[in-house]
Amino acid sequence: MLSELLQGTDIGGFLLIQDSCTYCGRDLLKSFIEAALNREEVIHVVGFDVSEGELKDGLKSSVFQRLHFHNAFADPLGWTDNSPFTVHQFSSSGLTELLNQTAQSKPATLVIDSLSWILRHVSPTAVCHTLQQLKKGGAVRTIIGLLHEDMHSRGIVGSVCRLATSVITVAPRTKADEGLAKITRRSKSGKVVQDEQIFSIRKDLTVTVLSKPTNFGRKQSNTEEQVDPTANLTFNLRLTDAEREAKEKLALPFVFSTEKKTALLHSGPGSGKILYEPDANDDYDQEDPDDDLDV
Amino acid sequence: MNLRHYVTTNMAAPMSSVDKTPAECLQLNSTSFQKKTRSKFISIPGTRPSVQNGQLLVSSGVTSLDYLLGGGLAVGTVLLIEEDRYDSFSRMIFKYFLAEGVVCRHELFVAAAQDDPDDILQELPAPILDDVAIHRPGDQPRMSCEPQDTLDAMKIAWRYQNLPKVQSALASSSRFGHYYDVSKIMEPEIRQAAKWHRFYHPEHPPPSSGTHSPKLESYSALLKSLQEVIQREGFDLNAPLPKSRNILRVGLHSLGSALWGDDLCCHDNPKNVHALTSFLYGLRALLRSSLSVAVVTVPSHLIQDRALMGSITRLCDNAIALESFKGSERETNPLYKDYHGLLHVRQVPRLNCLASQLPDHKDLAFKLKRKQFTIEMD
Repeated sequence: MLSELLQGTDIGGFLLIQDSCTYCGRDLLKSFIEAALNREEVIHVVGFDVSEGELKDGLKSSVFQRLHFHNAFADPLGWTDNSPFTVHQFSSSGLTELLNQTAQSKPATLVIDSLSWILRHVSPTAVCHTLQQLKKGGAVRTIIGLLHEDMHSRGIVGSVCRLATSVITVAPRTKADEGLAKITRRSKSGKVVQDEQIFSIRKDLTVTVLSKPTNFGRKQSNTEEQVDPTANLTFNLRLTDAEREAKEKLALPFVFSTEKKTALLHSGPGSGKILYEPDANDDYDQEDPDDDLDV
Repeated sequence: MNLRHYVTTNMAAPMSSVDKTPAECLQLNSTSFQKKTRSKFISIPGTRPSVQNGQLLVSSGVTSLDYLLGGGLAVGTVLLIEEDRYDSFSRMIFKYFLAEGVVCRHELFVAAAQDDPDDILQELPAPILDDVAIHRPGDQPRMSCEPQDTLDAMKIAWRYQNLPKVQSALASSSRFGHYYDVSKIMEPEIRQAAKWHRFYHPEHPPPSSGTHSPKLESYSALLKSLQEVIQREGFDLNAPLPKSRNILRVGLHSLGSALWGDDLCCHDNPKNVHALTSFLYGLRALLRSSLSVAVVTVPSHLIQDRALMGSITRLCDNAIALESFKGSERETNPLYKDYHGLLHVRQVPRLNCLASQLPDHKDLAFKLKRKQFTIEMD
């Protein structure tokens, strides 16, 4: 499922990568950016957590003209007078304006690094509003966001996850270069699919999906075998083939020929049909013999 | 025995009805008992009186849920559904409720902040309708050329072959509770025949005046809009009712979530801690004096404050909570392998009586099959 998400076929969706201090999700975020750049998409990155250089490190330099980095790392709270991007510009109107500044033919992919920074300075309800409006509006094709789940309370993380169409939670594995991804995907019809995969990211930011972790498959091995009720009896309940044939050949009583059956089933339009609906007075109880007594 | 039940007024109802004697109250008061006389019991399609206390009931769309709630949802009450983690099953029940309204020809009022109400209505499940067997000439050649056992042809009970498996017809809305096929969408003709009103929160921007009231603007706007619909369309019991009465089904999706502007789910000590509770109080007062039923879904798994969740539950009449197994460790538990989740009944209403009808069994699990949402004893 991770590879499907990397292919980015989700239009109008919101992909959320949740990480924690034990495993950084930025490498996975960069792989998503790389995959999108390779698909000739226009990417706008709003960077609060890391600087431009650090984010672009590892990405192929040939595709940088399609990657627009909005530097929110330098002065996000607007302490100097000319800040390139402040956290208060993170609203649907502000972002749409920003996206329209760079002329583009098709809607762009918006990458937010990271939502945690914004959530500490803007109220969660406003952030959720903005994300919802961006999802609905046409200026943005998909939104990919990074959230550090250990920085916020469960309620805030839950509220943001509700808006997301896919959530990837990354966790470390015993081997240093591998990570465990728990993916939850919500389709438009409301169906929720979950998966767990082990992945590793190579130097060129391509993701290789390794096998599923073993404890996820435990569910399958625990299924009981179907108990066969005809076994272990003192009498024989099974049928051999010959016996089955003989059983089917047996003529049942009240079996009419097919012509008589059809004649009885499709009686002509003149036959009477009794339609009876029991009304309130008609409450008869078959077990009560005194029901007709007027006591 | 012929019990006589008298009209009582509910405390949350507006003050004007307290002055009236029972005889002056309207024949059909949604919170009163019905006097057991033979005369003019005006029936509204899609409703039936409860066998326990004579309340007027509507079906919630899920027949097993109707059974749990004592026959159905009483008119004038609120059903609170605590959502499951991914809002899949609560949304399904929400859609069943609205679909039942369309099939019974009730009016609908849908309010949502996340999805457009138009989109929610487009996704309603198709009702399973089977016309009563009519003699179609096309049937006969089929019968004669297929004498062998097909799935439909029965060998021993062949007289019952032509009867439909599920008997219901759209025209006869005297049937209470329908079944829906989740894999199909309700046909546009059926859907468009229904009258409905919408409230989509992004379309109502809050006024710029920053008053510090305990209510949130989003909830006040919603309550005002609902009150206006009730009064305009004639569902209000205080006003003279039009000749043909109908029920208004109110569906409020995901109240309390961040998209309504409420920070109940986001903070442990929310600023607007009384916003949702005062809204629910006002909603219940509005419903008690009108011919309407409401279903409210709340993402309770995000609300950290259990005391707040308790007061929200007490402010609604019926309350159920859905807990889906997806993603939790219960998914692999062999005890639960046939089911999709657990259903907890948090509260049953005590409408005009001292004790409420409690369900017999407390361990309930639900399963969403294609044609039925079943709730079973675990």
